[in-house]
Amino acid sequence: MSCTTSLWYTGGVTREEAIDRINELLGSTDPETTNTSMRIPKALRDAAALAVSELDVAPSATTLTANALRMFLQGTVVLAALELHYEEYPETRPTLADLALAAAEIDGNPLAQKPELLERSAAEVERRHPGASFEDVLLWAEAVDSCEASQRGAA
Amino acid sequence: MNRLILLDNEAVQALRDPAHRKHRRVLDEVRILAVRTAQAMTVQAAVPTSVRVEAGWDRTAAPWAFVNRLGIVDVPLDVSQADAAAGIAKRTGVSVADAHIGAAIQTADADQITVISSDPDDMRKVAEGRRVNVVAL
Repeated sequence: MSCTTSLWYTGGVTREEAIDRINELLGSTDPETTNTSMRIPKALRDAAALAVSELDVAPSATTLTANALRMFLQGTVVLAALELHYEEYPETRPTLADLALAAAEIDGNPLAQKPELLERSAAEVERRHPGASFEDVLLWAEAVDSCEASQRGAA
Repeated sequence: MNRLILLDNEAVQALRDPAHRKHRRVLDEVRILAVRTAQAMTVQAAVPTSVRVEAGWDRTAAPWAFVNRLGIVDVPLDVSQADAAAGIAKRTGVSVADAHIGAAIQTADADQITVISSDPDDMRKVAEGRRVNVVAL
C-alpha cells in the first residue's frame, strides 16, 4: 500500500526546528481544510460518529478528531521541548516526587503541604510499580495520609 | 473542567534561566500541564502580555526560544483587559503587570484558575474575590 498524502516537509530538520514548525502550525488560524488519506480503524470512526450524534461531545466527528489530535500534539510538543532541555541540562530532569508535588500545587491539593509524604509515596510506588505516574503517587499519598489520620484518631 | 494557569514575572524569569533557583520548579509545573494536555484535559498556560514586557520576554529574541516552545499563550492587553486592569490598578495600587494578571483572572472563562507567582498576597489581592489557587514560588 502506498501513501497518497504528499509530504509537505523535507527531511533533515533538527528536533528543535520540528518543534518550532509544529508550534507554528498549531498556532495557525488558516481555515483551509484538506482531505487526508489517513486510515483509522472503522470501529473507532463509528464510535466517534455515535459519540457526536448521541452524546453531543462535538459538532462533528471531524471536529472531535481534529480537537483530540490538536490537544495531543500541543501536549507532546511541549514534552519534546522539555526532553531536549533535560538532555542539555540533566540536573533539571524531575523525579516522580517532584512531579507529584508540582501536580498537587497546581491543583491546590493539600498534599502540596506534605512534600515528605509525597517523597515517601513516590519511592514506595516506584519500588512496587516501575513506570507509575505522578497521579499514582498522589493517590497513594492520599491513601497513606488517610490511614495515618485514622490511626492518629484511634490512638 | 477548563483550567487556566497564569505566570507572573518571576515565573517567566525562572523558566528562561536554567540557573534560576526556581527553574526546575516552574519547569515541573509546565510538564504537568503538558502531560494533561496530551491526555485531552482542557488546560492552558498563559502569560499576560504586560508580564511579558516586565520580564523582557520578546518572542522573536533567541534567548527566549526554549520558553517559546512551552505552549504558553498570550493574554493580550486589549480594550477589555486594559479597562479591567485599570480598575484593578486603581483599587489595589499594584503594578501594571500584576493588574493585568488580575484582569486575566477576573475575565477568564475557566472553571479553575492557578497563578504561579512569587507574590501570593498580591495575586489574591488582584483576584478581588475570584477563587484562585496560587502556587507560591
